[in-house]
Amino acid sequence: MADASTPAVKVAIEGLSFYYGETAALNNISLPLYANKVTAFIGPSGCGKSTLLRALNRIFELYPNQRAEGKVLLDGVNILGRDQDVNILRLKIGMVFQKPTPFPMTIFDNVAFGLQLHEKLPRSELEGRVETALKRAALWDEVKDKLHVSGTSLSGGQQQRLCIARSVATSPEIILLDEPCSALDPISTAKIEELISELSNDYTIVIVTHNMQQASRVSHYTAFMFLGELIEFGATEEVFTTPKNRKTEDYITGRFG
Amino acid sequence: MNPIYAKRRRRNNMFLGLSVIATLFGLGWLAMILGTLLYEGFSGLDLAIFTQSTPPPGLQGGLLNAIVGSLIMTSLAVLAGTPIGILVGTYLAEYGRYTRLAFVVRFVNDILLSAPSIVIGLFIYELIVVNMGHFSAWAGAAALTVIVIPVVVRTTENMLVLIPNSLREAAAALGATRAHVIRQVTWRAARAGIITGVLLAIARISGETAPLLFTSLSNQFWSADLNAPMASLPVVIFHMALSPYDDWHRLAWSGALLITMAVLLLSIIARVLGSSTQSERS
Repeated sequence: MADASTPAVKVAIEGLSFYYGETAALNNISLPLYANKVTAFIGPSGCGKSTLLRALNRIFELYPNQRAEGKVLLDGVNILGRDQDVNILRLKIGMVFQKPTPFPMTIFDNVAFGLQLHEKLPRSELEGRVETALKRAALWDEVKDKLHVSGTSLSGGQQQRLCIARSVATSPEIILLDEPCSALDPISTAKIEELISELSNDYTIVIVTHNMQQASRVSHYTAFMFLGELIEFGATEEVFTTPKNRKTEDYITGRFG
Repeated sequence: MNPIYAKRRRRNNMFLGLSVIATLFGLGWLAMILGTLLYEGFSGLDLAIFTQSTPPPGLQGGLLNAIVGSLIMTSLAVLAGTPIGILVGTYLAEYGRYTRLAFVVRFVNDILLSAPSIVIGLFIYELIVVNMGHFSAWAGAAALTVIVIPVVVRTTENMLVLIPNSLREAAAALGATRAHVIRQVTWRAARAGIITGVLLAIARISGETAPLLFTSLSNQFWSADLNAPMASLPVVIFHMALSPYDDWHRLAWSGALLITMAVLLLSIIARVLGSSTQSERS
């Protein structure tokens, strides 16, 4: 595991298991997510990396028959607990999805959507916050003259940055990224990766990715998962250069997966 | 050529030929209906149709009372049926999608959707006309409402189910409650489709005759009183077409042309709206 200069733990996942109906998808997962670091979840399809991510903001609760057991401690508080309000939780934990999901409304309203859910802001301040969020997502220069056109009219890469802007607008503490570049071209991917590195100064970031180069480029820590188990967790450099587990090595060197 | 290919080609041509004949057969009838309607209807179409009420046989008159009656009862039915239909459809697609209750509601709705409209007319007759003691526009509107609801339920549910879950998740992930997600995101995304459903419901009820025969009956004179019998285009056409008078026949044709054109217009609008949603999504 990580060495002496270990940063503060933002989220501690403790003994987390996850079930789709009777089928177990995650088996007793424990790992820390460090504050202001990027943690990558890697592994072959169906290993449970997205499931793990979706447990962190309890988005799985939209569907019946999905349940999580164990603990996820955010700053020491179990967010899987019954008395945790999910909407307040999701204010603290933003999420960006595989496919860009702009809402059918203007670019401005897309970013303002989350803000207006939690605060009543005067128009001028709302405009300021939307601008800040779009700048943070490196989209401002491209859209500042067309804030009132539909968000769906943007290109795929722009849409994804719009979704990131929407997430950072509410000033979350953690941002979850579920394969955010898998539907994007290489140039858009490079932009998003650059953005992730920048954002990690202010946010704790978790990224699920199929792309190992991407994991090694953007993340500080890497968790390798296989068949619902956490196989290895450590500093990205170590996991990629001197993996401790044979399965990790096989996966990283492309022998399976 | 290889005999297998020759045979395949012959079969292909035969199948194509049959399909074309079947299509022409179907379209032929439609063309004849529309052609007759245009020919017979246009000749009687004049300003009086829109300015005068239905005349006694032999006198000059129009269809004003029937047109207004149809507009009033259709509007009332849409005003009452649309909110109920949209809310039920929303329940089926958003809240209860996987529940047993939704399954039952969906099943009952499908039965209602294909129920003969005369049955609905009789039901409203028993429920409202008998209790009020007389025919009325209210009863006519109620019968049409019962027809509107299942159409709107169906289309609303279908349109909402088409909205990808990722959009709902994205909104929920920002901390929006379910009701907020529905009102701000999924309804918006499905708006054109839902409006299409309402337009199709209007098209459906604007030609209904049977449910009105037992409820609003008809009225020879101008009347906007909802507590009294009210004329409507389909029922007026029905009466006039069955009569022995030539001038009434001409009015009936004109009325039929008006309904058909209105329905055609609604269908075109619905089609345009529907295709615009699809292109937005792709």
